[in-house]
Amino acid sequence: MSKPKIAIYKMSSCAGCQLEILNFEPMLLDLLGAVDLSYFVMAKRENEEGPYDIGLVEGAITCGEEISRLKKARQQCRMLVAFGSCACYGGLPSIKNWTSEREIEERVYPQPHLLESTTAYGIDHYVTVDAYLKGCPASREELLEFVKGVLLGIKPYLRPHSVCVECKLHENVCLFTSQGKVCMGPVTTAGCGALCPANNKPCEGCRGPANDANTESLARTFDEYGLHRSDVVRLFRKFAGMTPEFSRGAEVL
Amino acid sequence: MSVPVMKVTEMKWPALSLLDKDGIAEFAENLAERYLVFGPVAKGSEYVFAPVGKGEVLELNYHTTILPPKKLLHQPFEVLFSFHEDGIQENIVEQPKQIIFGIHPCDVHAIQILDKAYSVEYEDPYYMNKRKNTLIIALNCSEPAETCFCQSLGTGPFLKDGYDLLLTDIGEAYLVEVGSEAGMELVEAVNLRPAARVALVEKQKVYENARRKFRKRLLTQGLHELLESNFRHPIWEKLKEECLACGSCTMVCPTCFCYNVVDKLDLSLKSGKRTREWDSCMLLEYAQVALGHNFRKDRDARVKQRIYHKLLYYEPQFGTLGCVGCGRCIKTCVKKIDITDVVSRIRGE
Repeated sequence: MSKPKIAIYKMSSCAGCQLEILNFEPMLLDLLGAVDLSYFVMAKRENEEGPYDIGLVEGAITCGEEISRLKKARQQCRMLVAFGSCACYGGLPSIKNWTSEREIEERVYPQPHLLESTTAYGIDHYVTVDAYLKGCPASREELLEFVKGVLLGIKPYLRPHSVCVECKLHENVCLFTSQGKVCMGPVTTAGCGALCPANNKPCEGCRGPANDANTESLARTFDEYGLHRSDVVRLFRKFAGMTPEFSRGAEVL
Repeated sequence: MSVPVMKVTEMKWPALSLLDKDGIAEFAENLAERYLVFGPVAKGSEYVFAPVGKGEVLELNYHTTILPPKKLLHQPFEVLFSFHEDGIQENIVEQPKQIIFGIHPCDVHAIQILDKAYSVEYEDPYYMNKRKNTLIIALNCSEPAETCFCQSLGTGPFLKDGYDLLLTDIGEAYLVEVGSEAGMELVEAVNLRPAARVALVEKQKVYENARRKFRKRLLTQGLHELLESNFRHPIWEKLKEECLACGSCTMVCPTCFCYNVVDKLDLSLKSGKRTREWDSCMLLEYAQVALGHNFRKDRDARVKQRIYHKLLYYEPQFGTLGCVGCGRCIKTCVKKIDITDVVSRIRGE
């Protein structure tokens, strides 16, 4: 196929996922040889009108204005991608979903009556999504695999299994069994290269549930390790509390 | 189980020597001048097999390593070949000679199983290329860890064969026994003290002492019939609830040989590499085929497959059990799922 046109949309997010595209640095020119970044407001002054081949949507959907922009993006793009955990599951913004909208608005903004905030959802709550690139931030390597897959017309290889697999492949010391630190790795999707455990920090679950994630069983182990129920709830609701798997983990105790 | 001392008297290389403990580093450095030497070194609170030479401290008192030394023969990630528009380029290169130093008997037995798995039907050139250039300096176990049960399977704590050199900690020094021509050459290249035959008595004492320290066992008697008749035992349903399906148990297993093949393309889409990496039957995607059907969708089916493969299905394939009792799967399991305990529970103990 000819060079696909890519559009990058920002919803409720910290812009960290789109920054990852700029962080390609040495590879950015190669990437630009393969695709056109047609609409990328963060990086370009001149942006092209749609339609586009691929839309990367960053951020959770948390208000009416975003819902209409998202629906327009869906119409403009042949493939729509949830780019990063906020767009996949609601991500960090979804931590507000278990407190009343009004209380949250008043806590954050001096004039909350100007807001129309809604429950934070991933984009597939409103539109059909063709691919999910998980992570906080999304992984550059996985974005490249996805782009190559689109160019070839094949399904990209994105790891569906737990972070434990990558920890073992890199022979990291297991923080859970060797150091007694609670870690979300056993139920969280790999693809990050087990970045946090490799740096001696337990997995926080930012990439959401792995294949066949047994979150109830892990929550029971957290309990045995002495975590308070509220801490277990926070662990499961930090990034992907809106998914059925992490939701079960948060509620089992 | 026959006593190792009896075996030694029949050996082709009767020379026994002693290696002083403070001479170990020098011995390893000497070897490292001619070979790639891998031995147990500390990584945080654990141990790993890593290159040994100047600076790295060999930790021969290690209990076990995170990954088995299998990783030196069947690597976690490996490039099989490169490809480009004009063809392919094989990646089977001249392999430098390597030594696995301080490998425990369980892991030597595991390598013997891999040797069969990678050569019986189809020879795996990547594995065999490394294997035939590998020397084994084994170390008998005098301090089995809490999770060890090699004694039940006849794969430890002492080794009978399958080594080039065999070390036993007999107190003030290591007793060195030779198991091959190549091992003889290694010994001749350095000055070791000759050992009196009485050292074998010391070795026997260490063996008897080690034997008494096992806290786990896996009774193999009638194991086939037991497993075959308990395919629907209620324990599988319990394990389904417990198991996290994280795959750690298989990732650290010294006899697991499955791998996945992944093509890594360059962005030009004109060249790339075909790679392989360790795969695991504990993972949901393992038994998924085209159009999405999955032959082992249920977690209990996968837990059962792992245990049945090790304890039941290996034997007709390779003439030996698939478990060597290294205990890594027990140690690594967040849920403390223990293969010896599973068997005991099925036995109704």
